[in-house]
Amino acid sequence: MEEAFYREAAKMPAVRGDGMRGLAVFISDIRNCKSKEAEVKRINKELANIRSKFKGDKTLDGYQKKKYVCKLLFIFLLGHDIDFGHMEAVNLLSSNKYTEKQIGYLFISVLVNTNSDLIKLIVQSIKNDLSSRNPVHVNLALQCIANIGSKEMADAFGNDIPKLLVSGETMDVVKQSAALCLLRLFRTTQEIIPGGEWTSRIIHLLNDQHMGVVTAACSLIEALVKKNPDEYKGCVSLAVSRLSRIVTASYTDLQDYTYYFVPAPWLSVKLLRLLQHYPPPEDPGVRGRLNECLDTILNKAQEPPKSKKVQHSNAKNAVLFEAISIIIHSDSEPNLLVRACNQLGQFLSHRETNLRYLALETMCLLATSEFSHEAVKKHQETVINALKTERDVSVRQRAVDLLYAMCDRSNAEEIVQEMLNYLETADYSIREEMVLKVAILAEKYAQDYTWYVDVILNLIRIAGDYVSEEVWYRVIQIVVNREDVQGYAAKTVFEALQAPACHENMVKVGGYILGEFGNLIAGDSRSAPAVQFQLLHSKYHLCSAATRALLLTTYIKFINLFPEIKSQIQDVLKSNSNLRSSDAELQQRASEYLHLSITTTTDVLATVLEEMPPFTEKESSILAVLKKKSGRMSAQEAQREARVQARENSTVPLPDKAQIAQLNNSTSADLLGLSTPPASQNSTQSNTGVLVDVLGDLYGGSTTTHNGTTTPATTTSTAGATDNIKKFVCKNNGVLYENDIIQIGIKSEFRQNLGRIGVFYGNKTSMPLQGFLPTVSVGGTQQGKVTVQVKPVEPSIDAGAQVQQLVNCECIEDFLGLPDLTVSFTYGNVPQRLALHLPLSCNKFFEPTDMNGESFFSRWKNLSAPSQEAQKIFKNAGPMENAAIKTKLLGFGMQLLEGIDPNPENFVCAAIIHTRTQQIGCLLRLEPNRQAQMYRLTIRASKESTAHIMAELLAEQF
Amino acid sequence: MTVPRRLKMAKGRMSVMRDKNGKPFVPEDVGVIQLIFKNLKMLGGLFIYNHKGEVLISRVYRDDIGRNAVDAFRVNVIHARQQVRSPVTNIARTSFFHIKRANIWVAAVTKQNVNASQVFEFLLKMLEVMSSYFGKISEENVKNNFVLIYELLDEILDFGYPQNTDTGVLKTFITQQGIKTASKEEQSQITSQVTGQIGWRREGIKYRRNELFLDVIEYVNLLMSPQGQVLSAHVAGKVVMKSYLSGMPECKFGINDKIVMDAKRGSSDETQRSGKTSIAIDDCQFHQCVKLSKFETEHSISFVPPDGEFELMRYRTTKDISLPFRVIPLVREVGRTKMEVKVVIKSNFKPSLLAQKIEVRIPTPLNTSGVQLICMKGKAKYKASENAIVWKIKRMGGMKESQISAEIELLQTDTKKKWTRPPISMNFEVPFAPSGFKVRYLKVFESKLNYSDHDVIKWVRYIGRSGLYETRC
Repeated sequence: MEEAFYREAAKMPAVRGDGMRGLAVFISDIRNCKSKEAEVKRINKELANIRSKFKGDKTLDGYQKKKYVCKLLFIFLLGHDIDFGHMEAVNLLSSNKYTEKQIGYLFISVLVNTNSDLIKLIVQSIKNDLSSRNPVHVNLALQCIANIGSKEMADAFGNDIPKLLVSGETMDVVKQSAALCLLRLFRTTQEIIPGGEWTSRIIHLLNDQHMGVVTAACSLIEALVKKNPDEYKGCVSLAVSRLSRIVTASYTDLQDYTYYFVPAPWLSVKLLRLLQHYPPPEDPGVRGRLNECLDTILNKAQEPPKSKKVQHSNAKNAVLFEAISIIIHSDSEPNLLVRACNQLGQFLSHRETNLRYLALETMCLLATSEFSHEAVKKHQETVINALKTERDVSVRQRAVDLLYAMCDRSNAEEIVQEMLNYLETADYSIREEMVLKVAILAEKYAQDYTWYVDVILNLIRIAGDYVSEEVWYRVIQIVVNREDVQGYAAKTVFEALQAPACHENMVKVGGYILGEFGNLIAGDSRSAPAVQFQLLHSKYHLCSAATRALLLTTYIKFINLFPEIKSQIQDVLKSNSNLRSSDAELQQRASEYLHLSITTTTDVLATVLEEMPPFTEKESSILAVLKKKSGRMSAQEAQREARVQARENSTVPLPDKAQIAQLNNSTSADLLGLSTPPASQNSTQSNTGVLVDVLGDLYGGSTTTHNGTTTPATTTSTAGATDNIKKFVCKNNGVLYENDIIQIGIKSEFRQNLGRIGVFYGNKTSMPLQGFLPTVSVGGTQQGKVTVQVKPVEPSIDAGAQVQQLVNCECIEDFLGLPDLTVSFTYGNVPQRLALHLPLSCNKFFEPTDMNGESFFSRWKNLSAPSQEAQKIFKNAGPMENAAIKTKLLGFGMQLLEGIDPNPENFVCAAIIHTRTQQIGCLLRLEPNRQAQMYRLTIRASKESTAHIMAELLAEQF
Repeated sequence: MTVPRRLKMAKGRMSVMRDKNGKPFVPEDVGVIQLIFKNLKMLGGLFIYNHKGEVLISRVYRDDIGRNAVDAFRVNVIHARQQVRSPVTNIARTSFFHIKRANIWVAAVTKQNVNASQVFEFLLKMLEVMSSYFGKISEENVKNNFVLIYELLDEILDFGYPQNTDTGVLKTFITQQGIKTASKEEQSQITSQVTGQIGWRREGIKYRRNELFLDVIEYVNLLMSPQGQVLSAHVAGKVVMKSYLSGMPECKFGINDKIVMDAKRGSSDETQRSGKTSIAIDDCQFHQCVKLSKFETEHSISFVPPDGEFELMRYRTTKDISLPFRVIPLVREVGRTKMEVKVVIKSNFKPSLLAQKIEVRIPTPLNTSGVQLICMKGKAKYKASENAIVWKIKRMGGMKESQISAEIELLQTDTKKKWTRPPISMNFEVPFAPSGFKVRYLKVFESKLNYSDHDVIKWVRYIGRSGLYETRC
């Protein structure tokens, strides 16, 4: 068949050009194969044929080569391995015919792997084509480079392509390809784009006459801007003027680039996107023009459509939505924001589902802007209506998001009510998130806490399965902390529990609250102690072990609150199902509570079972859960969350702010101390265990431990953040800082006067952190006394990734304070800046020295000049335990000398500080006074300033 | 058509027969039925597809197999990307057992843990029945006979349990001629026969000439190293009998089985010379007509044969196999672009015998670009589509040898993978039994009719065929 075709082809040169009938026959043969086996047979036959042709002595002409290479390509695409024919394909590259060259390049971009021996030949062929006068050949070469897109390609053509791109002689089509090719290579090798003068020349491509070039260049510039926003700042004004030319153009001006009556929609969208990488332009002229453009786009949206085709409205809306997102991004033009909001409001009732979805989604962002928040609220009715009538669950989800975003003090009650109503019929996939949102809104905007309690109890009633632990923990926290609602809460839960079937979470809340505040409603005969107890106990056997454990604690609390039902409760505790429960926890509680109630006096009982103290206020743990839940959320959502956060921090005062401050100031804020009251030995370990359980999430974030050896974590202004800098005086490794976005860990080692600190930055989010730049600076008092060398790190951290930065440091003289560590990055387009300290204190350069008592005292006496001694007397913050003090002193870096001080309670230490210039001997004496809960710390050092520095550092640790 | 339905009812009653205590009634002397009661697990459905995966026949016997099972098999097996397909596939807790004939896929489906070999035995038997009804199993034939196939499926499977698959019996009541109402007498006769003790033979058969044919067909399997060392070898054989005998004859069949021969030698010394010719049979199985109790106690094979053709026994041997052919390969790689292959075959049996249909298949490397062949005998051809040289010889006598030499040109490729050198395989047919299996006697007794063993004309034929007959090179 093949031969026949050749003969025929020879007769008819016209067909020969691009007919390739042999290929068509082969493909139809394959298509007609009845079974896989037949197909394999046909392919084997064809492969053997091609092999014999390639092996044959007589040379093949370009057409034949092209045909066979084409067949090989087809066979490869069917899923068979091809291990020959590469040479023939490379030969095709040097052909002058377009089709032959094209097939050659196609084969190579599909089949040649980058480490092939042929790559040199290929590179040479591409080089030839790049310098060809024929633009079509240049384009083929550029496409091939982009398709392979390897590092080798970037190395080989890194110089040529930028030249090609900006040269005046290059044709437009080639420029277009060159820009896209460069973009592809830039993605593999960031270094490929030369800086300096090239920057402005690349930017000026935005001014090119040819719209295709501008469109391609725009993509390239956007990628470049992402990497280096400052260098490409110049593109803003060019992009704005280009945009204004497009926007103001009538659809007849741009001929080829008008798509269904919309002038250059793709380019407009790209330009608008590019502009979103920068803050609004500062130059009032440029800014004015940009606003004009946006204005025009908004105006155009109002015009009647020029075509009924869906493409017309799609293109128009694409530009419009991009314009709205830049308006939201700049967040500075109240007028535009309100107009955008009105425009979206129209879309809310559009019949296109996609438009409604987009409108809701974009409005969520608008709601977070202070200028348009009010405007968004106007559409509340429509959104609520959407929630009820929308068919598509994803649209309903957006509506929920928007309601959440537009909620504030004024409309909270209504929105929460609507969401509660909807929850009963809501789709299962969004229930949990909705529950969290309702819980957060109710808490955040609650003016009347009785309302809050009502909402949450309703929530548990309606969607108990979806109410996570955090939600009901939170109710309890709030009820415990606010005296004014305790009575109401007790009454409400009591009523709620009377329902014949109530959710286990309701039992938990009820059990806890009645156990604490049941006495407040005991006066009423309808809720007398015995009735309360009977009610709770009627649910007991339907609950899981964890809930039963909680209820047992409630019962023992009842014994304290209502001595009159003591025997009744003791009977329950004595019952076999509790005292001999198969669950160890229940058994332990039952037996311990029983004995507690039998053996102790009422006074002791009252102390042990005292009402719970208020909890420390922190960021609502529910919010953290919501954030964690939406780990899958898009960049836009993340941005929105960040903005919501920002707005709340600035404008809406948290209801409990005063209380928080007060609690933070008082030392009693340490919850741990409270969970171990004096009688705790008598009480049960498991009891405290459960209390901690209930409040577990409070400690979740921080690393504060039970015995208080470390100082409580301090929270910074950023939500959920912990900064542990103080702890690092006495330790070398650990987590320095952590919030929802980033975790910074430290690993350090020191030898004599040198040190090396590894700083680990971990991205906790699902998006990369861009423009990541940590800087360490030695300022003020440390200037010249300590040197640090910082290795640079990559400017972006991928989602979930961790990068390490090494800091080398040297101590020149003793110094006070810590070097600054500033970390700046953008997360979801919101720039972030963290001002921290590098945990590099003077004591890190201690070397412990051992000595006997005699030499210690002789040295101690030698350092008797008053300037050599520093003494501090301070109050203890944590418990005074020898082990803890020892750990701290060892961590501080000094040698602990035991058996030297005549008073065994006291601690003495010795060490030498190594600096570049000298060695400073250091002696320490710490005298704890347990009655007064005070310490006296005395440090003597051979250098005058050192003793004071050390005393400062160490005193803060207790 | 009404007849089979009645029969089924009769059988159904039998299978649920229970005693007074409600336990299933188990006839004591019938071992086979006991077996069925023990393994109450069987097929849920049976599908036949064409090569494209379109369903030609779909018969579901149990509720646990849904319509989606049909699609599951098509998607996961017929349209699977990978080349090698396991005969048993598990998809979503459902097992699919399939065999392929030409372009037809036959799949048995079950949700239960069935005996896989039992299922395949049944499928093969079913194909045998079908081909005896309408010849070759092809898409065309299946489509043309689908009513018949459904009728057969109703008969040979009942609620997923295999029933009588004997062609001869089936043909008595499933006929391809139009509907023929059987008389009451005929009906009762068929019923009594199918449900009776000898279900495979009807009474009152009469032939003018009593005749029987015995075919011993063996398949030799071999794997040999390049140096001529036997790595593994076994023979799978069967005895097929075609009987045209009148009445209800009782047959006795004797073979040169070692156990029987040894037992005989113990009692009398006359078999001293025949000691060499006895063979060791590793395992064997018989047609249901053979009285197993007698075989167990007396090692004698006695049976009342079905009328017409049937497979009397199957066996396997591994010792003292006489290999009919020896293949001596010689492969030399000359540089990277050329290879020389020489293959010699030697026939190793009595010079008076003739082997037929000899075919030697020599695999070629995947980058072969040209082949030159010289052979002394027969015809040889390079088949590119199969990546092999195929050498065919029509006939070849015993104790002869023949050779082929090939020059293979290779194309240089960019893969460093070496050619794996698949084994050279061979096909042939020889007129003897390579295992040494011999039929010693077949005696026919029919007491009621007046013909004796001497009056029966008996024919015996031995055929040795190649199974997987491979030599590594």
